[in-house]
Amino acid sequence: MYIILVGGGKVGFHLARALLSEGHEVLVIERDRRKCVSINDELGSVVLQGDGCEAAILAEAGASRADLVIAVTGGDEDNLVVCQLAKGKFHTPRTIARINNPKNESIFKKLGIDDTISSTQVIMERIQAEIPSHPLLHLASLGSYGLELVNLSVAEGAAAAGHKLRDISLPPQTVVSLIIGADGPRVPTGDTLIQIGDEVIAVTRVESEDALRAQFASQH
Amino acid sequence: MRVVIMGCGRVGSTLAANLDQGGHEVTIVDLDSSQFRRLPAGFGGRSLVGNGIDQDVLRRAGIEEADAFVAVTQGDNHNVLASQIAKHVFSVHNVICRMYDLVREEFYQDLGLTTISPTKVISGMIGDMLHHPE
Amino acid sequence: MPPSLFNRTPQPPTYRILVPLGGNPSDEVALRLACDIAKKEKGRVQAVYVIEVRRTQALDAELPPELEQGEVILREAEALGSQLQTEIDTELLQAREVGPAVVDEACDRGVQLIVMGLPYKRKFGDFSLGRSAPYILKHAPCRVWILREPPAAAE
Repeated sequence: MYIILVGGGKVGFHLARALLSEGHEVLVIERDRRKCVSINDELGSVVLQGDGCEAAILAEAGASRADLVIAVTGGDEDNLVVCQLAKGKFHTPRTIARINNPKNESIFKKLGIDDTISSTQVIMERIQAEIPSHPLLHLASLGSYGLELVNLSVAEGAAAAGHKLRDISLPPQTVVSLIIGADGPRVPTGDTLIQIGDEVIAVTRVESEDALRAQFASQH
Repeated sequence: MRVVIMGCGRVGSTLAANLDQGGHEVTIVDLDSSQFRRLPAGFGGRSLVGNGIDQDVLRRAGIEEADAFVAVTQGDNHNVLASQIAKHVFSVHNVICRMYDLVREEFYQDLGLTTISPTKVISGMIGDMLHHPE
Repeated sequence: MPPSLFNRTPQPPTYRILVPLGGNPSDEVALRLACDIAKKEKGRVQAVYVIEVRRTQALDAELPPELEQGEVILREAEALGSQLQTEIDTELLQAREVGPAVVDEACDRGVQLIVMGLPYKRKFGDFSLGRSAPYILKHAPCRVWILREPPAAAE
């Protein structure tokens, strides 16, 4: 397949490498000259320097023979325009857009972008996979996605104390990722019992933080 | 008429002031609060700090009741996304999107967006002035 | 004494010289120099011409005019070689960019030296090395000689 990636940041770079190793023909379009040089140094001549939102650059990149255009810049508006141009002007059969702000997911769908990848979604999945073995510092960057990583101590008299995780009403989009009890950390399941003194590490939306805290804090 | 304007640059602030003068209900949104200094002292509309491609910000700006939405930030793509949100999510009746890039302007016009390109308008006007000097 | 299999001195690798051709007069100078060195070192000269394929086309697209031009340039190189009594191997490549293609070729062939001509070109009024020469200088695994033409010859 011929795949055009717009955006040569970290996501674009690693994606390009992975796709190349699968044997695809890959071209990365990136505005920043220094990023272009470093990608070319690592991956060979796979970069076109320019603005992927410009129809002329997409034409030069051969968008009309591309099987897939993936827009992974840090700006949702840029990713949208890339995919709309690819589809509408170059008849690219398939487009994928990275969405940085989860609120934009519905409008992208509405505007006919076949697939969207929300970094929030991906990061949530990774957090669930990584927490047991990695320090929490790793997660500081979540703020910009409207998410927070919170650490709660289960207080005496807390609503959740003495209940199984599945019986506790958690606010929407909240994931309890790890529970550190007297006998060490454990990855919780629905059956995990929450006990007084446990440390609970959870990912939640900023606006849900209070509701979550209410479950684990003392009710007095 | 209730109008939401995104981008308080020269055009946005002038338009906001004119509409306000004309008795319309104006809300102007910009990421940078210092841009609101462009608004005249007696400006009676609302100014709101926030990103106009954020649907919650648009809601706070009153887009759900707006008759018109105007996107005049410096970024074409920004304007395009905000305008499409206004049109397709909030069903704003009259949406106007500024675009500097001519190719993109034409493309989005074909997709049904009402666009205006200063590049095209001004180069056309200067051309006319050259052909028909006073 | 019969030669022993074990302490036979290893055959030194053939001295290979790669000459990337650009289809301009500086090619001949580079080829002549490469042939001189090849004679001294009992080496081999390989001339390569790279067709840059635009992204609008697949890498293996058929490009008859470019192909023909490349073949002409390589035939001229061969002719020069026989005139200088040095055999020149030729190769025609299709790639996205000349620089990386030449470096890859040098790596694959175990080349010891790259000799290339460089026309004196100006860009925005200033001398320009072009795109390929800096890349080759930076990335080639071997020695690189660049023969820059005098400024007047380019104008």
